[in-house]
Amino acid sequence: MPVNLALGHASNDFMIAALVIYSLSVVAFAGDFAFGRPRRAGAAARARQAREPSAALAGVAAAPGTAASGAGPAGGLAGGAPPAGTDSMPELEPPALRAIRQAGSWVTAAMALSAAAVAAHAAAVVTRGLAVHRAPWGNMYEFVTALTCFAAIFFLFVMVRYRAWALGVFVMGAVVLTLGLAETLIYTAADQLVPALQSYWLDIHVTAMTLATGIFFVAAVLGVVYLALDRHARRVAAGRAAPGNGIVRRLPGIEQLDRLTYRAVVFGFPVWTFGVIAGAIWADEAWGRYWGWDPVETWAFITWVLYAAFLHARATAGWRGRRAHYIQLLGFASLMFNILVVQVFITGLHSYAGVS
Amino acid sequence: MTDVRAPGPDILGPPAPAAPGPPAPGGFGLAGWLKWAWRQLTSMRIALVLLFLLALASVPGSMLPQQGADPAGVQQYFTAHPALAPVLNRLGLFNVFAAPWFAAIYLLLFASLVGCVVPRTFRLAGSARALPPRAPRNLAKLPRSAEYATVLPPGQAAEVAAGFLSGRGFRLRRPEAPGGDPAGHWVSAEKGYLREAGNLLFHLALLGVLVSVALGGLFGYKADRLLVQGDTFADTVSALDEFHPGRLVTAADLAPFTITLNDFTASYIDSGPQAGQPSAFHARLSYTARPGGPVRGYDLQVNRPLSVDGAKVYLIGHGYAPVLRVTDARGRVVYDQPTPFIAGSSGNFLSEGVVKVPDARPQQLGFTGVFVPTAVDVGGMLQSAFPAPDNPVVSLIAYAGNLGMNSGPPQSVYQLDTAGMHRLSAAPLLMRQGQTVRLPGGGTIAFAGYTQWVSLAITDDPGQLPALVCAIAALGGLLLSFLVRRRRVFVRARAAGHGSTVQVGGLTRTDASGGFEAEFASLAAGLRSAHARAAGRPDAPVPDYSQTAEGE
Repeated sequence: MPVNLALGHASNDFMIAALVIYSLSVVAFAGDFAFGRPRRAGAAARARQAREPSAALAGVAAAPGTAASGAGPAGGLAGGAPPAGTDSMPELEPPALRAIRQAGSWVTAAMALSAAAVAAHAAAVVTRGLAVHRAPWGNMYEFVTALTCFAAIFFLFVMVRYRAWALGVFVMGAVVLTLGLAETLIYTAADQLVPALQSYWLDIHVTAMTLATGIFFVAAVLGVVYLALDRHARRVAAGRAAPGNGIVRRLPGIEQLDRLTYRAVVFGFPVWTFGVIAGAIWADEAWGRYWGWDPVETWAFITWVLYAAFLHARATAGWRGRRAHYIQLLGFASLMFNILVVQVFITGLHSYAGVS
Repeated sequence: MTDVRAPGPDILGPPAPAAPGPPAPGGFGLAGWLKWAWRQLTSMRIALVLLFLLALASVPGSMLPQQGADPAGVQQYFTAHPALAPVLNRLGLFNVFAAPWFAAIYLLLFASLVGCVVPRTFRLAGSARALPPRAPRNLAKLPRSAEYATVLPPGQAAEVAAGFLSGRGFRLRRPEAPGGDPAGHWVSAEKGYLREAGNLLFHLALLGVLVSVALGGLFGYKADRLLVQGDTFADTVSALDEFHPGRLVTAADLAPFTITLNDFTASYIDSGPQAGQPSAFHARLSYTARPGGPVRGYDLQVNRPLSVDGAKVYLIGHGYAPVLRVTDARGRVVYDQPTPFIAGSSGNFLSEGVVKVPDARPQQLGFTGVFVPTAVDVGGMLQSAFPAPDNPVVSLIAYAGNLGMNSGPPQSVYQLDTAGMHRLSAAPLLMRQGQTVRLPGGGTIAFAGYTQWVSLAITDDPGQLPALVCAIAALGGLLLSFLVRRRRVFVRARAAGHGSTVQVGGLTRTDASGGFEAEFASLAAGLRSAHARAAGRPDAPVPDYSQTAEGE
């Protein structure tokens, strides 16, 4: 089927709109850092309580009690007392929209702009797909635009779900940078695919790989922020000059950042695994073997092993924290190497990048 | 695993093996050393190091040409780096994924995995039978806790809580003799054993993938065959161009099918930035599954293999075969057949090939040259402008002499050994379709036409299905271990005033996907309204505790 040129142009227009709105959202996120409302003391205290609930509730339990401390099987401290007239039920967080409004007008504006940019970006990707009558990730340019779209959608969810808009300037900044580079360096007009790429498994394999890459993209940006925070914390601990206090105070705690990154990888890793399996099925259909250590396969395997190492490192004494995050970034570096170097410069069966 | 304790409270999860760290093995004798080595091997730290080594060891396999995937590349590398290549070869760097040191890494890794997973399986089986632990005394000290008052007496409050938690799928433990102990009205509840089960399934399934790959290596085979349009071949060792049997495969294991290539068409994009890229391939075959069986037709395409008698046949390449007719100086036709030419690196199917005419007299003849599907003259150089045969031209250099086919090592049909030959003319012989040119020294060569060929890969891999099943199981295990969280919830009810005070505590060990905080909040709210319902006041869950507080 011929390429639908009108839709192709519409896709390009959407992409430019997305770039502009993303840039504005980054400005708004940065504006929140510079001029925004400081984090409310109440919110900070709640966050602390959520981290250390036992400490927060210790006062309640320490009251003299009626229940005689019998032969408590679990040992522990003095028996619990009935409350002095106060219930302590776990607090449910306010709904996301209210939380965003409470965070101030800069954050509200930045979130609204991010959502609009993601919508334009998604529209660009979808219209491109409609224009070429296939999944819109068949060459390098399309792959980068789609992966950044998945990254932005995923991170929008993370920002809302975990109230993590303080990280928006970094992730959305990375998205707009990557998208801008793709637009200027490797733009490829909408077109058809070579026969090896015309398969039903292409959609499944490349979709999973693109989605996983988008998620790992977010994890990598969070990992870099983690390392910066970690470096800052160590400088403070060592009593040395640690610039950027103002920024650090606005960011989530280092533990929370660690958890966010971990969750992103936990989401991305099974998707990547699935993508590799789907790729093996496709390879079997196309080339007669499910695994042949083709350079791209080898690097997908290396990436998989490195992310697996990250997941294990988090559960290994002495490897938690900084080292684990270095592994994670190494995994992302291997992924980027695969896309940018192996697929383009090393001959193999996957040389379809279309950037010659 | 001696140091795989996740951060967080230790009371969840299996007890750590009583081995704080590997002691110095001195004085333990051989058994002590072995035990120490095993404990080291199965530690998470070593597993991590082995994972790194595996990643690192794979790198040269993607940077250097590999024997299995690209034998021609290996040969080129030997020519280009005559000093370095033999050294790399001795280190196994041209066959990394079959090298002993690569095998050593993954076998150690899998040994480490077995040493870790097997004891954990036993522990999981044990903890699945065991009851959850008793409720701790002070639930407010747990990572999550809640507290509220109810008008129900403690015994009934605990009963209601037990009913509620059991309804949510928790496994329960109740005090052995409630009532006697004033602090004895409690419920322990636990859920999420599938997390560890999924984790174990993932690791065991990876082991299964390795076994499946080995199965394919032992009982499978791979073969290649180049088939010119109109030709037929049978799947026998002698008819195959390349045959790579597994260790335990014999010629008798080959599926006895025959395949004929009736017709091959390739279509190309003819305009736009991707002009010249192929858009579709169709190889129309007829085949019989066994001698004398019915003849069936099949349209073989890329991504659409033919399954026949357990084996699969793939379309992996194609090219042109110019039909060349050679008449020697005596006037006899000594060569008249399609000769497969192979597309070179210059693009647009400018293909290279060799013609050997051993029957020519007085001297044997040999030709090397190119087939150009759409010939254009670019500054005196012959180039191909498009991969389809729009203007086919053959350009050959003729040699006469001794082809050397009866002596020395076996020759490739795609290479001409010109050591015993001399070149007949300085200029190449250029022919359009249908043209004939005279050879210097007598005889003629004619470019009568062309046909096409395909190259087929024939594979049989009995490990394929097991590998797929194991891979899917691994993915399922991974999802279970990430999505399920193992968590405990405790409830204690103590007499307070006219009712009781209910304390709820909860903890989880690894909460990969997050959300225990919200789950606990909803459980606590659910418990509270269950108590309110049981007290007959569904709409007023807050009892009058100012009185309660003062009463104490």
